[in-house]
Amino acid sequence: MTPTWLQRRGDPQAHTQKPAPAPDPTPAPGPDPAGEGRPVSGAGPAADAAPAPEADSARGADPAADAPPAPGPDPARAGDPASEADPAGEGKTPPRDAAPETAPAPLADPAEDPVPDHRPHRGRLRQALLVVVVAALVLGGCGLFYAAHRVTSAAPARNHALTDTEATSRVAGDVGNALARIFSYTPDGTAAAERSARTVLDGRAARQYETLFARVRDDLTEQRVTLSTRAVRTGVIELDGDEARLLVFLDQTSRRGDGKGGTTTAAAQLTVTARLQGDHWRITDLNAR
Amino acid sequence: MKRAARVRTALRLRPLPALALAVTLVAGGFAAWAGQDWYGAAHDEEAGYAAQRDAALTAGEQAVQNLNTLDHRELKTGLDLWESSTTGDLHEQLAAGRQEFSDQVKEARTVSTARVLSGAVTELDDRAGRARVLVALRVTVKAADGATSDKDSRMLGELTRTDGTWKLSALGQAPVGGNPAG
Repeated sequence: MTPTWLQRRGDPQAHTQKPAPAPDPTPAPGPDPAGEGRPVSGAGPAADAAPAPEADSARGADPAADAPPAPGPDPARAGDPASEADPAGEGKTPPRDAAPETAPAPLADPAEDPVPDHRPHRGRLRQALLVVVVAALVLGGCGLFYAAHRVTSAAPARNHALTDTEATSRVAGDVGNALARIFSYTPDGTAAAERSARTVLDGRAARQYETLFARVRDDLTEQRVTLSTRAVRTGVIELDGDEARLLVFLDQTSRRGDGKGGTTTAAAQLTVTARLQGDHWRITDLNAR
Repeated sequence: MKRAARVRTALRLRPLPALALAVTLVAGGFAAWAGQDWYGAAHDEEAGYAAQRDAALTAGEQAVQNLNTLDHRELKTGLDLWESSTTGDLHEQLAAGRQEFSDQVKEARTVSTARVLSGAVTELDDRAGRARVLVALRVTVKAADGATSDKDSRMLGELTRTDGTWKLSALGQAPVGGNPAG
């Protein structure tokens, strides 16, 4: 325990102390590498090899430890380039940075590896894991968000025909009534139908209707034709906000004046485009099917 | 020295986990929100109903077109298609009358081709699996002598969902001069 503790907190002192003059000479014969490593990583080896007294002194008196060992190592390992560099200036001033950079590289690779290297490893692993988790969450979230968006904005969901029963029956009713009114007239004139047309038709449908009536108006009065139109079936194809398309089956019963011709009923199919204006649907386009 | 180092390490180590935690939480929150959004959308009854409506219409239009299309040279394919497009009473009727009908068509040597002009669903009972459709149809009949004629018709179809697919269970012309409905 002590070693790690020492190492963690005491990087600087450890460094200075690394020269650990005392231990060096003693264990010198056996664990040469260990001894070498010691100066490098400072704390790790020092603690490991260093007998009790050393650690104690290091802990007990930081400054004291710093100072005394520094000189020690110098003479001992005069030849070692690493050790030379260490004590010179770094030993005391910038301990953290200096320690790993200068010393470890040449000398203590093996000794150092186990301890200081491990932590960055674990940290990096944790970082990578975190990145993966975050990425997975974000990607998954985006995927779900997109899926939800697709469901709600898909064509079927945007079309409220039948799903909004009130609006559906409303547009069907409005359009059915409108068609009945504009295509029903009596021999006395088409004025009523045309008046209705002005309120329920708009856009292209209004222009179509006008041209049609301009052409047939005189004939109709002359032949005294009565036409009554009924919407027998109305289906809403599409209903999206204030726009709707419908399919309407019409029955048109016509009777010639003088009562001679009798009545004929014809079937008609229309697709109708309607737009909601205010609270009424107006027909903007008509197509015979 | 020691203290300075300690502060330094604290400053250096703390912000990272804090930031990582914040990022993870935000990502997790986003994922949870998106998941709930998706769940809501996917289990939205209205969306499901709308999808069934569209499925019924597509199947209905196709079935009505199939049942108005027949080539005397490919009777078997055509009549098989009729049977696979229908269910219930209509299916039984067609199966029962198949032989007689194919004899007639063979003799008349006609080719009928139908085209759907427009269609709409007028009723849909999603739970019962029943729907009604209106279809405006144009049928082109080519007689044995090569003469063709077009005929527009308006059809009322009733669909029944069997095993998840919509099939026609009744089909007829919308009566002219009858009582208004739907």
